[in-house]
Amino acid sequence: MAEPPFEIPPIITYAVPGFVLLIVLEMLYIRVFKRGGRYETKDAATSLAMGLGNRVFGIAFGGAAVLVYYWVYQFRLFDLGWTWPVLAACFFAEDLAYYWFHRVAHERRWFWASHVVHHSSQHYNLTTALRQTWTGTLGLSFIFWLPLLWIGFPPLMVLMFSAISLVYQFWIHTETIGRMGPLEWVMNTPSHHRVHHATNPKYLDANYAGVLIIWDRLFGTFVPEDEEKPAYGIVSQLGTFNPFRVAFHEWIGIWRDVTRAKSLKDALGFMFGPPGWSPDGSRKTSASLKAEWAARQAATAPAE
Amino acid sequence: MFSQLLAGFRAEAPVLAGSAAVVLFMVGMAYALGFRAKRLLNEAELARLAEAEGASLEGAVIAPDKRAAFARLGNGKLMVARVMGDDVSARIAPAAAMRVAVTQGRLHAVFADLGFPPLHMKLEETPPWLAELAQGGR
Repeated sequence: MAEPPFEIPPIITYAVPGFVLLIVLEMLYIRVFKRGGRYETKDAATSLAMGLGNRVFGIAFGGAAVLVYYWVYQFRLFDLGWTWPVLAACFFAEDLAYYWFHRVAHERRWFWASHVVHHSSQHYNLTTALRQTWTGTLGLSFIFWLPLLWIGFPPLMVLMFSAISLVYQFWIHTETIGRMGPLEWVMNTPSHHRVHHATNPKYLDANYAGVLIIWDRLFGTFVPEDEEKPAYGIVSQLGTFNPFRVAFHEWIGIWRDVTRAKSLKDALGFMFGPPGWSPDGSRKTSASLKAEWAARQAATAPAE
Repeated sequence: MFSQLLAGFRAEAPVLAGSAAVVLFMVGMAYALGFRAKRLLNEAELARLAEAEGASLEGAVIAPDKRAAFARLGNGKLMVARVMGDDVSARIAPAAAMRVAVTQGRLHAVFADLGFPPLHMKLEETPPWLAELAQGGR
């Protein structure tokens, strides 16, 4: 049974009024109490414009991903219907697929070219959650969910949990909420996600979770937030509020590097190597930044 | 295919128009609440940015509005800094990865890396190190 026994509401559309309300409340909180984060009009405008553009590109190209979902579903291993155990399994499977998508999106430049958009703000507030890519479908980000269709989870079920995950991840983009007690053990929280958006070397490449932080704990990418305040953005800050530059700069960078590459190996490295990879190692990657930081820490540590 | 796409946009037009209106409302609200950039650059800030890179500040020019700056670092690299809202965005690159020119009292610095927008900045004065750098074409 591929079709759901109930009508799935347009989850993201229904969530939008809540997004707006929470953004307004966050702005007022920060203005009144002068704590809990920072807002800047141009930065917020860029984030919101990216969100709107994401919707436009979604209408234009999102259908292609859905078609591929249904195409792969033809070759499914099992006929999993819309039952409660399958729904529960799909929730975990979708969240695991998200973890791996997200991790690869940070570790491989091809996917980073789309995902970098979400990290390009130097501010961290609820509008940052809406700073979304325009090129996700074109960059084939959806392939990470295809194994779920192949196993036999119905396409609409996978899409439903993807939408739920996206809505969940909205509220964690805030500095107004501190730690959340035992919830921090299992759930992705504002604290965990602040670490994910930070450029401090100790926080780089951590906390890829969507809804459940358990995947990071399981695969060794969990880093807790400590007293070091996160500095937000990307390692090479973008320096622009222009939405088009935000959307396409990394793709243009890939094109430029690939067309100037001296060999096929270099070209593939520029496309699928870690962000910052270069044949001579002259650019900075997350790994090199972390290594430099670790060396500095070791040099300044008091001798025992 | 194209007609289908067009039909999709027609069907979504009210939602997109509504979303655009909401975006304008929220941007207007941020503006009305006074969330406007106040950060200004000075030599101390530039020195801090250089130090974070493990380098010292050898020379710097700051735009008259104090919202952009260009600096030469002790390790031979060049730095462009810009105010980004309530924050500062800095890009440090080897001199070979940047084209620097000074024309009619304006500094133009273009990065080989397209990700960082070029800097076009009014100069109050052109220090000798900058003139030399610009004459070298790098």
